[in-house]
Amino acid sequence: MAGAPEHVEPNRAAWNAGADEYQRKHGRFLRGDAWGTWQIPETELGLLGAVAGKDVLELGCGAARFSIALAARGARCVGLDYSERQLEHARSLGADFPLVLAAAESVPLPDASFDIVFSDHGALSWGDPPCVLPEAARLLRSRGLLVFNVTSPFARMCLDEKAGRQVEQLLRPYFGLRRIDEGDGAATFNLGYGEWIRLLHANGLEVEDLVEPQPPEDGTTTYGIPVDWARRWPAECIWVCRKP
Amino acid sequence: MSEPDYVALNRATWTKANAEYTDAAARQAWAREVGWGQWHIPEGELHMLPDVAGKDVIELGCGTAYFGAWLKRAGARRVVGVDVTPAQLDTARRMDEEFGLGLELIEANAESVPLPDDSFDVVFSEYGASIWCDPKLWIPEAARLLRPGGILQFLRGSTLRNLCVPDEGPATERLLIPQRGMYRIDWQEGDDAGSEFHPPTGEMFAILRENGFELLDFRELYAPDDAPDHEYYSVPSADWARKWPAEEIWLARLST
Repeated sequence: MAGAPEHVEPNRAAWNAGADEYQRKHGRFLRGDAWGTWQIPETELGLLGAVAGKDVLELGCGAARFSIALAARGARCVGLDYSERQLEHARSLGADFPLVLAAAESVPLPDASFDIVFSDHGALSWGDPPCVLPEAARLLRSRGLLVFNVTSPFARMCLDEKAGRQVEQLLRPYFGLRRIDEGDGAATFNLGYGEWIRLLHANGLEVEDLVEPQPPEDGTTTYGIPVDWARRWPAECIWVCRKP
Repeated sequence: MSEPDYVALNRATWTKANAEYTDAAARQAWAREVGWGQWHIPEGELHMLPDVAGKDVIELGCGTAYFGAWLKRAGARRVVGVDVTPAQLDTARRMDEEFGLGLELIEANAESVPLPDDSFDVVFSEYGASIWCDPKLWIPEAARLLRPGGILQFLRGSTLRNLCVPDEGPATERLLIPQRGMYRIDWQEGDDAGSEFHPPTGEMFAILRENGFELLDFRELYAPDDAPDHEYYSVPSADWARKWPAEEIWLARLST
């Protein structure tokens, strides 16, 4: 893609190479109509509201389990991902709505065509927020909802990379969280709370809520974050925003 | 009206701090240009101050009212300072006479201010009500005092700093207490004790929204590269605060 940010091709390659293993490792844990690391049910959090009859876009859908569940509730879904292999997994799981092969930094869909745009550890983590948010804002209709779940700054600062889990020690500064090297040119992205709020406002979005979900005591995950850590500090931030 | 248990503790803390530090530091503080937080980051750098020219402003938990003085000099029509500690207000009144700014200073708890509804354009707090009062009480009070569309601005310590501060001494590089349950933090340091309120980010958000505020900005402050440690407050070291945000400024608008 001409002019695509430099992380897009390495990230696409990483996801194409890793998709099968990812699905083997996490596929059975991911339940569909649920958010994030502990798969907290959307029926519990109620962040998307009624979806029946709404046009819904998932940015960085992977195998699109969330969208498949929303489609079953009557949403008109579109899934977007830059990994061909991940979209093949989506099809094999029965996604019978449009799956768009593209980076969220440059979405080949018209302005104002969705009521809800959402992402669960998708394109706002594996894409660069200053490039992805303008697209999300462009794609939303007036009064449309943007909901996205990302790793919290806490979980980033406290990640012991060797051990592959969170510790109580602040191992890296809050400054410079923005781009994290994932190897072979691939990268993930993260922002501080204030940076998110300013960037959302700069893209004309109103911030309605910031949900820091706490897993239940018996919460389980295949993503390596210790549940006793995540019971004490927020491992994820779900931002709820609206286009005026 | 009976006051909550923490008010007497906090008054004792500030009576002592007034004798040890804030009274002597007041003249210099009043004379300064507008700056933010313990490292006094210049307003010219942050651009966070709302337009106060011709506006009616109330400072909740004003202490020696140096910030109220800055707001008056920035053009505010009326500045009212509210505080629970008589010693702090005595200093504020002395400074006000000396500088001749005409602040109104009232001894009251910011959770229950003896002033009418809809009487201010800006509610402000810097380490005042923003940490020493219960947000479920003082935020509704701010909403009551503000006219529709009015601005609420407050500065407080960051969530991260509060998670990393041990019982004694400066902030560590370790998360020491759970975020869940940090809404009210009761502390003891030697003979001193106090209660502070610190709902974490998402919870503070919800309180603002429930009281009709829309969040306009949220700015996390870092210590400047050349900043020394603070001379009095036992707070994060400048070195800590260069890596992690020690303070945060919230800016919100009451719905019209």
